[in-house]
Amino acid sequence: MKKRLFIAILLLTMLLPACSGKKTETNADAGSAKGDGAGTGAGTTVTAWAWDPNFNIRALELAEEAYKGEIAVNLEIVENAQSDIVQRLNTALSSGTPKGLPNIVLIEDYRAQSFLKSYPDAFYPLTGHIDADDFANYKIEATSHDGEVYGLPFDTGVTGLYVRVDYLEAAGLTVGDMTNVTWQEYIAIGKQVKEATGKQMLSLNPNDFNFVRMMVQSAGQWYFEEDGSTPNLEHNEALKEIFRVYKAMLDADIVKLNSDWSQFVAAFNSGDVATVPTGNWITPSVKAEASQAGQWRVVSLPRLQTEGGLNVSNLGGSSWYVLNQDGKEAAAAFLADTFGSNVDFYNTLLADVGAIGTYKPGIAGDAFDQSDDFFGGQKIYSDFTSWMADIPAVNYGIHTYAIDDILKVEMQKYLKGEDLDTVMASAQAQAEMQLR
Amino acid sequence: MENSLKKHRVGWFYIMIPVLAIALFYFYPMLDALLLSFRSGMGMNLEFVGLLNWKRLLSDPNFITALSNTLTYLVIQVPVMLVLAMLMSVLLNKESLKFRGLFRTAIFLPAVTSLVAYSVVFKYMFSPDGIINRFLMDLSLTDAPIFFLSDPFWSKVVIILAITWRWTGYNMIFYLSSLQNIDKSVYEAARVDGANAIQQFFKITMPMLKPIILFTTITSTIGTLQLFDEILNITDGGPGNATLSISKYIYDLSFKYTPDFGYAATVSYVIVIIVIILSAIQFKLAGEKE
Amino acid sequence: MKRLKSIAAYVFLVIAALISIYPFFWMVVSMTNRSVDVTGGRQLPGTYLMENLNNLFGQVDMVTALGNSTLVAVISTLLTMLLTSLAGYGFHVYRSRRKDIVFNVLLLSMMIPFAAIMIPLYRLFGRISQVAPWIGIDTLAAAFLPTLTTAFFIFFFRQNTGMFPEELIEASRLDGLSETGIFFRIYIPTMKTTYAAAAIIAFMNSWNNFLWPLIVLQSPAKKTVPLLISNLGSSYAPDYGMIMSAITIATLPTVFVFFLMQKHFVAGMTGSVKG
Repeated sequence: MKKRLFIAILLLTMLLPACSGKKTETNADAGSAKGDGAGTGAGTTVTAWAWDPNFNIRALELAEEAYKGEIAVNLEIVENAQSDIVQRLNTALSSGTPKGLPNIVLIEDYRAQSFLKSYPDAFYPLTGHIDADDFANYKIEATSHDGEVYGLPFDTGVTGLYVRVDYLEAAGLTVGDMTNVTWQEYIAIGKQVKEATGKQMLSLNPNDFNFVRMMVQSAGQWYFEEDGSTPNLEHNEALKEIFRVYKAMLDADIVKLNSDWSQFVAAFNSGDVATVPTGNWITPSVKAEASQAGQWRVVSLPRLQTEGGLNVSNLGGSSWYVLNQDGKEAAAAFLADTFGSNVDFYNTLLADVGAIGTYKPGIAGDAFDQSDDFFGGQKIYSDFTSWMADIPAVNYGIHTYAIDDILKVEMQKYLKGEDLDTVMASAQAQAEMQLR
Repeated sequence: MENSLKKHRVGWFYIMIPVLAIALFYFYPMLDALLLSFRSGMGMNLEFVGLLNWKRLLSDPNFITALSNTLTYLVIQVPVMLVLAMLMSVLLNKESLKFRGLFRTAIFLPAVTSLVAYSVVFKYMFSPDGIINRFLMDLSLTDAPIFFLSDPFWSKVVIILAITWRWTGYNMIFYLSSLQNIDKSVYEAARVDGANAIQQFFKITMPMLKPIILFTTITSTIGTLQLFDEILNITDGGPGNATLSISKYIYDLSFKYTPDFGYAATVSYVIVIIVIILSAIQFKLAGEKE
Repeated sequence: MKRLKSIAAYVFLVIAALISIYPFFWMVVSMTNRSVDVTGGRQLPGTYLMENLNNLFGQVDMVTALGNSTLVAVISTLLTMLLTSLAGYGFHVYRSRRKDIVFNVLLLSMMIPFAAIMIPLYRLFGRISQVAPWIGIDTLAAAFLPTLTTAFFIFFFRQNTGMFPEELIEASRLDGLSETGIFFRIYIPTMKTTYAAAAIIAFMNSWNNFLWPLIVLQSPAKKTVPLLISNLGSSYAPDYGMIMSAITIATLPTVFVFFLMQKHFVAGMTGSVKG
């Protein structure tokens, strides 16, 4: 028996170097590839994970150019899909094996509390490195935990209603008719537009609750009480109103359904819908169809007819976090010197990648005052920043996506004719039972 | 006797490495997961909760939906796919068939695509203005486009069609490779005895292929019970949770929501239990005796 | 009647083949179209092939990813075939009560969903990293080690060995061939089609493996093709023309391996008595 085991182990040890032998070659390759980019200085290597090469990764590259801090930093940017980042962070942090994690990571604001609460010591507080008052209030609310600020805000998801002027005109309407409206008025206009042009008013994915999240924040509400963990669904008037609006839009037959992001984008690129109510980050996708130049405008988001319903909201947006491991000081210094305090940098950020930051001193520069011919000469960025100031701060809590999924099921039931109070009570019961 | 002992040793030696590797990479983590199923909490903050996770299972509507969806896929998809695969492999094994290589390649091709790639393609094909809807409308089978992926019934149908498309050729290859190991003289003899094609199939092919039929049945059952990538990429479990599978739910519990790895481990043990029961039944039915 | 049946067979196969191929057709066509046309469901070839390819190879390190994936897939396929066929053969030819029990236990490992063991497995590799960093986290070896010897292939080879004539083994023993000799000189050549099928599946599994490499490989220099493709779709304004190009290129190696192995199928057939 011993002998057998010995032979097996022998074979195993013979096998393993055989695999690793091949591997060393790739290691050497990797080393030389890295050498080209990062071999410039003797500074601390800071690794950062982000997901969009045209957006947040480009922003990091610009930050590296703009960085003038005391600690020399070699920034190494790694592109990972957002869902992949979430998965890797969870695996590594929960297994207590943080090897291979980056120094800086971009996390979506809806998920921030979940990470901060699940892995209490994994992130490095930035409280002493930035002045929280410099940033939009709702952003700080989303990125703080236990009195410390952990996230350095990157972009805002301030929302607007993108509208097609030509379709409105065909229905005898103007952009002014669409400004500061309620969702009821929006639906009425939608019917007129459809009658005149045959086009739908907007495109929605029933399995994507972006739309609901956007509307619920516009009323200063969320799925939870202020503590961020007690579900607030059954008696959430804003949420109920959203369900009613949703159903009314479907009943009015002004919705083009889609089942994924690309179809959503295709709906407005191909001219099938008259409006797009969503976050400002959609701007590049709208502008991608150059033939529609001059036909688009951006107006404020329609509001809910409930207490505290506003014509502004936020959808998405993310922030930078520093992991509590070697290199955290350099990483924090790098972020603080760029995203945390550099006013010019925010101008470059907007001009170069179209990202609107939430750093108040940074969003008043020239780039924000530019008019855009695609939008008929409208100064869309100064409009967005003026709306941003009014975004109500809410606690996104730790279970946003879990509640999303509960509500999706209940929404289907409601659309099929079940009573609104019943489905909301059912959602509340499930949330209370499942999320503790 | 000496000889038989030596053979015995050789046998153990042949299986040693995989046994050790599987013990290390599967059983050890499985045990870890079992211990995890008695704990619950957010991320790192797990505490012992005894059987609470198991109780939670029974009153979790999402879990129950995921379970019934998964069993629906299983009961409908696996038999359809295996019968199709068997039919194709027998047809393709006929030497008189023209363009055999072409057919074989075409039908196997779906199995080489990555799950992400084909899921994306299916999503487009079944979109409101996708090719399927255009086709149906051209044939006047429907007036308005069907919203396949936004409808609880049709979205399940799409998932079943997608996995059937992807895995039929895959299973066909197993059958085909085994069919070719069958000695052709057996069929010759049967033909001389006057057996027709259908008799040959049930009297020769089926019994000869029994081990491999058992194999594909069990692996397909397991594959369907662990169905994940297609759900994630085609429907993301929706609309609502109409297409949610158990594996997708485990993924949601671990990575989409605030992670509760303890509860996720509990849900995954349900799959293990179901698979063990089903495999035992399948082994029994196939009559493989120890 | 016979003629009718044969026509039915052709019609069935033609329909099956068309359904099987159509998505590939669309994939290749989309490779030549702009992002907007891809999302619009355009079915005709366009003129953007070069632009899509330039974007793909210019913006992301497709070459490194292809190299990594090839290395991992080739090594793991070869090792998988050797180790699991030995085991499958061992379980069947040297069958004993105790081995059957071991085998049934091994089968259990197929049944646990990967999502469930992912975290413990990662923790295990964290520990392996400390004693043997060359097979630990963020090494290509770690990407394939857990899937190297799966119960699936052992099961597959064991079931197929059932069709391997026992008399052949007995005869070889009488001829004085050693046990290892029988396996390498008699079994492997006889079971060519089984190996061919296993090779296709093993290569494919390795080539398309996503969840585990995603977690265990971290540095950009170690990225495999599926990880790279996953990144492409994650921006706010994805370029679907480029994504379809990447998907098409990613599919080519598996198609190539299939054609390579398919020869053995043909060889297996022509070697038999005419039907």
